[in-house]
Amino acid sequence: MDIVDLITPGAVIANLRATSKKQALSDLAKRAGEITALHERAILDVLLERERLGTTGVGNGIAIPHGKLNSLDRLYGLFARLERPINFDSIDEQPVDLIFLLLAPESAGADHLKALARVSRLLRDKSVCEKLRGTDNADALYALLTESQASRAA
Amino acid sequence: MNLAVLVLSGLVAASVFSSLLSFRIGAPLLLVFLGVGLAAGAEGLGLGPMDGRMVYLLGSAALAVVLFDSGFHTPVKAFRLAAAPALSLATVGVVLTAAVVAVPAHLLLGLDWPHAGLLGSILASTDAAAVFFLLRVGGITVRDRTRSLLEVESGCNDPVAIFLTMALAAILAGQPHTGWALAGDLARQFLYGGLGGLAGGMVIVQAVNRLGIERSLLPILALALALMLFSAVGLLGGSGFLAVYIAGLVAGNARLSAPQTLKRFQDGISWLAQIGMFVSLGLLARPSEFGAVALPAMGVAVVLTLVARPLAVFLALLPFRITANETFFVSWVGLRGAVSILMAILPMILGVAGGSVYFNVAFLVVVASLAVQGWTIGPVARWMGQIVPRRTGPVERVDLELPGAHHALVAYRIVPDSLVARGHRLPRWAMPSLVVRDGGSMLAHIAGPLVAGDMVWLFARPDRVGHLDHLFARPAEAAEADRRFFGDFPIEPTVSMGQLALSYGLPVNEDGLDRTVADYLADRFGGRPGIGDRVLLGDIELIVRALDEAGGVAEVGFAAEPTRLDAPRLAMFEPGERLKAWVSRLGG
Repeated sequence: MDIVDLITPGAVIANLRATSKKQALSDLAKRAGEITALHERAILDVLLERERLGTTGVGNGIAIPHGKLNSLDRLYGLFARLERPINFDSIDEQPVDLIFLLLAPESAGADHLKALARVSRLLRDKSVCEKLRGTDNADALYALLTESQASRAA
Repeated sequence: MNLAVLVLSGLVAASVFSSLLSFRIGAPLLLVFLGVGLAAGAEGLGLGPMDGRMVYLLGSAALAVVLFDSGFHTPVKAFRLAAAPALSLATVGVVLTAAVVAVPAHLLLGLDWPHAGLLGSILASTDAAAVFFLLRVGGITVRDRTRSLLEVESGCNDPVAIFLTMALAAILAGQPHTGWALAGDLARQFLYGGLGGLAGGMVIVQAVNRLGIERSLLPILALALALMLFSAVGLLGGSGFLAVYIAGLVAGNARLSAPQTLKRFQDGISWLAQIGMFVSLGLLARPSEFGAVALPAMGVAVVLTLVARPLAVFLALLPFRITANETFFVSWVGLRGAVSILMAILPMILGVAGGSVYFNVAFLVVVASLAVQGWTIGPVARWMGQIVPRRTGPVERVDLELPGAHHALVAYRIVPDSLVARGHRLPRWAMPSLVVRDGGSMLAHIAGPLVAGDMVWLFARPDRVGHLDHLFARPAEAAEADRRFFGDFPIEPTVSMGQLALSYGLPVNEDGLDRTVADYLADRFGGRPGIGDRVLLGDIELIVRALDEAGGVAEVGFAAEPTRLDAPRLAMFEPGERLKAWVSRLGG
């Protein structure tokens, strides 16, 4: 499972403006709706449902909201760099400014987990996060997200 | 007179000063104490006109003090967590170790089998003092289950090894015996020791709580009663060592009227006892005699560490659900210490032929054990995935005990970036009363929100205070290794397994779906979960992140891929897993 397989340049948002967790999730759901041609409300519901199991704010300013949807044809990833950090009920109670959203088809049990593990591993890397925070251009962000992995694979 | 006091206090002071050195170079502190004794001893400065009998007497009393203290600091929760496997280690494990060590003693030292068995039993017990010390002071937090197991084992196995040694030494010294008398003696040692310990512990609790004695005298009273118990039980034919350990356990877990005073005194006196024990054992040693037995002794040490202990631990722990890594770690932390050297004095006192051989060999084996295992405990614990990463930074906390009250008064300094400084609320059971701000003090409800630099005084139940720390601490940077330990995501402990299974497609049995994640995890560990315990479910792991005050699961982690933290690091312990699975299939 590679990040390249999850995300397209169009799914990277360089400066998301949001003031709350709810708003950030709903903006991302909207964008995901455009990409996947699903109803944004359905996506948001799935994300909020997942948050009820426990926050996806994993600490160090990172959040990885995710969920499964019946009508998806494959895994979709979205990345957003927030203009201003927001409260995300994170485990370390630090505000969040990098969000990687992951949506998976209902049937993709193992792939869903593999993708989650991959994203989580990528964003655990402090140097990657620092570079992502220092970049406000969507293409450059996309390059960072996908390149770090090529270098790691090598 | 003055000279004697000067020498004694000088030795203690030298030992304490040497601790600075020890912390700097990381040398095992107990080894340093032994070194101080050697330097001052018969062949060093010649300060020690010590004879074996006196050292044995003082050493036993000091050991009793250390055991009382180790019982005192063992939470009853830890004891329950580990009692059964620890007892197996303390009995089966000790006998097996003694038996296996007898082999190199016979082959390398040329001792006949009974004498070789005597050496084996001398070296059979792990040293409570050394193990406690390394686990507590080593600056690492070892996972609950393993730590409890090691601590309870080292508290319980001394009586067994001591009994074995005394019995063998007495027989070899020519005292009459019969098999039945020995078995009866063993039973009496345990029975009297256990019952005496329970009764003595309760007496100590009542004496401390009820008699209204001046507070500074309380710890002295407790200590005196413990030593009285030790000798009384010993006179009756019971194990005084077992008795003081259990009495410490009872007293330490009871609600005492001045727990902090007692704890602090215990800490100090236990240090003094250890210094006394190791220094006087060093004083007694004659390094010039070591040369003759050095090589065989190293052979014995190698067999003990690499064969006897691992084999004994492996077999003693077979019936229990203990992972391969835990088993390996437990077998590695089988430190030998003062008890072994102390026991090695016995053959000399009782007049067993060639008595000094035991002492010299035991001395060298202990030095090797302290050096090798003492130095490597940290790396090995890390390698075996036995270290709990710190989740919070240091806190500035002052505890005051309130006589007669069930609450303690605690003060915290508010540091920037702590949860409280960022506006996090205190739990309802914590009652803030006074805030010291800019040199003035005011009532907490007038002071309003706490800000960095404040000092807040609050009342809370002593057993809950630890749960406040994370609110007042600077959050610790979560390192990569910590994420691996605790998992990627937090999961609410109250969520049902059904919901979780649905969201991630997890293989959970029908009957498990209604339970909460917390209950599910607790059940998987026999109702006694420990931090870092993990369950593999399909491709994910559920991890116990934190426990609540009642020992239930309070925080759960979710790893999206197996962390393999508990995967066996050494293949040699794996056949056991299969054997265990086989045995449990037979049973079920």
